[in-house]
Amino acid sequence: MATAPLLSTYSMWNLFRNCRKAVEWRYIEQLVPLLRDHNLHFGSLIHDCLELWHGQRDIELVLDRIDRLCSNRAQDEDQKRDWLNATAMMRGYAEHYPTEEFEIVALEKTFEGPIFNPATGAASRSFVLAGKIDGIVRIGGEYFVLEHKTASQMDADYLEKLWTDFQITLYAHYIEQTLSIPITGILYNVLVKARLQQSKGETVEEFELRRAELLAKSKTGKTTAKRKLPETDEDFQQRLAEKYADPLMFHREMLYLSRDRFEILRSELWELTQAFLDARRRGVFYQNTAFCFNYQRPCAYFALCRSAGNPNVRDNFYQRVAPNEELRALPATTTEPAF
Amino acid sequence: MPSLPTAKTAPKPNLADLTVLAYGQTKIGKSDFCSHAEGALFLATEPGLNALDVFQVPIQTWDELLDACAEIVAGQHPFKTVIIDTVDNAYKFCTDYILKKFKIEHESDLGYGKGYAIVNNEFQRVLTKLAFLPYGLFLVSHAKQIEVETRTGKYTRIVPTLPDKARKIVLGMVDMVLYCDLENSVGQNGEKSTRRVIRTKPSPDYEAGDRTGRLPQTLDLDFAKFFQAFNTAVTPLKPQAAKAPAAK
Repeated sequence: MATAPLLSTYSMWNLFRNCRKAVEWRYIEQLVPLLRDHNLHFGSLIHDCLELWHGQRDIELVLDRIDRLCSNRAQDEDQKRDWLNATAMMRGYAEHYPTEEFEIVALEKTFEGPIFNPATGAASRSFVLAGKIDGIVRIGGEYFVLEHKTASQMDADYLEKLWTDFQITLYAHYIEQTLSIPITGILYNVLVKARLQQSKGETVEEFELRRAELLAKSKTGKTTAKRKLPETDEDFQQRLAEKYADPLMFHREMLYLSRDRFEILRSELWELTQAFLDARRRGVFYQNTAFCFNYQRPCAYFALCRSAGNPNVRDNFYQRVAPNEELRALPATTTEPAF
Repeated sequence: MPSLPTAKTAPKPNLADLTVLAYGQTKIGKSDFCSHAEGALFLATEPGLNALDVFQVPIQTWDELLDACAEIVAGQHPFKTVIIDTVDNAYKFCTDYILKKFKIEHESDLGYGKGYAIVNNEFQRVLTKLAFLPYGLFLVSHAKQIEVETRTGKYTRIVPTLPDKARKIVLGMVDMVLYCDLENSVGQNGEKSTRRVIRTKPSPDYEAGDRTGRLPQTLDLDFAKFFQAFNTAVTPLKPQAAKAPAAK
């Protein structure tokens, strides 16, 4: 009896291209690091807010969602920082785009479709490709895939690099194929995250040290220096609001899709499926050590590779989570108030 | 009629070939436990062995540790198990050694995390070399509680007191991570009692592990019982190893 094709995502294929060993850890052994990467939390929080905003266009609902998703902010410094930043960012976003030039067709749309052999046109019996896009919008009579991006900075390089975003190009192709919506291009909705930090002030010792240095330099032997007190939440919120009032914090970029690129990506995807099947059949998922420190930080599986898969590392620093969790729909009750 | 075996027996690794990390709260008996290992030699990086009748080399710098290791490698001695007590202090000595070597005050002075990486590489180099020697290697560490943030929330976990990266290096090279703990129980007559135990399997509450698969989940903090459990345990064979031998 034939088995159902394996659900694959672009994330899996991209990882396979970069490091096959990492794919083995994630998609075959189903391991993920036990510790959550906090940097990912802010991005997913904003994605959640943008979905709500574009669906309802009610900023109070969005702020309420942020409150509930950061409900532990009184005790948790990370959550408090995210809460302050997300609240200011979404307020700024709503003010920056009081009306939209596009019409929302769909939000958080998932798709699933076959992977075709470009030479024969036959569908793979081993894999299907699935994914989720942030939205589909209509501008005039044309359809665009909406892609939200939170960036720590947006410069010329950032905008130049958008065309290499193969994932969204490939997803646009699958949206066309599976939903029969002709996609003209991608609308990137970039939100820049303010780099402001809430001032912690200085301790009495730090102030005394600074004061002594100033006195030593002073010709009169006097100084008017005062101790820097911690910045209040209200003052920091005000600073954030001023920052997000800057139009440069929000940017929209439209990219038109090339049909040739679709064909290239389809061929690449097919080649990757064949390489994966070969690796799985032979049980060889080799390490790409050049990828261990991509983005100037160790890969999530670095400790595991370095220990040659020592079970002590595997069992104490990783947990088993089924792949493609991003495609799993959360029950509505998780974000709705119980009372 | 004798029944011939249909499966190979699993190899029994010698305890003296293994690398073990034992950690737990102060004064629980980690050093005493290790002192019963065969031919134990302590590389004592912190005081605290006064109550034990053991062979020890006091170590106060990384250079002294390297010298002691060189003597161990030379092999003109009766020792069979090397115990670094504590590995936390050994790591501190390693850090001091690198700071002195590069004439800096702090690892961060080298920039881009280079100082931390050099310390970790030196630490790993020496521990790996020690682990490859034909002696048992026991590493002793204290325990601390940390708050970990997972996908499902924050909770506290007991881990060895080594810095995060050093901990990953050590856990990645050892065969066993033994968490020495206190276990409270209530007897049939309602009387409360506490016993010192070793926890050998991973848990969300603490770090532990046994890649030999020979130890029970919990056992008394007693080397004789640990030794017995290790030697009497039967490791289940892997399916591919359980094939009957081909007839010639």
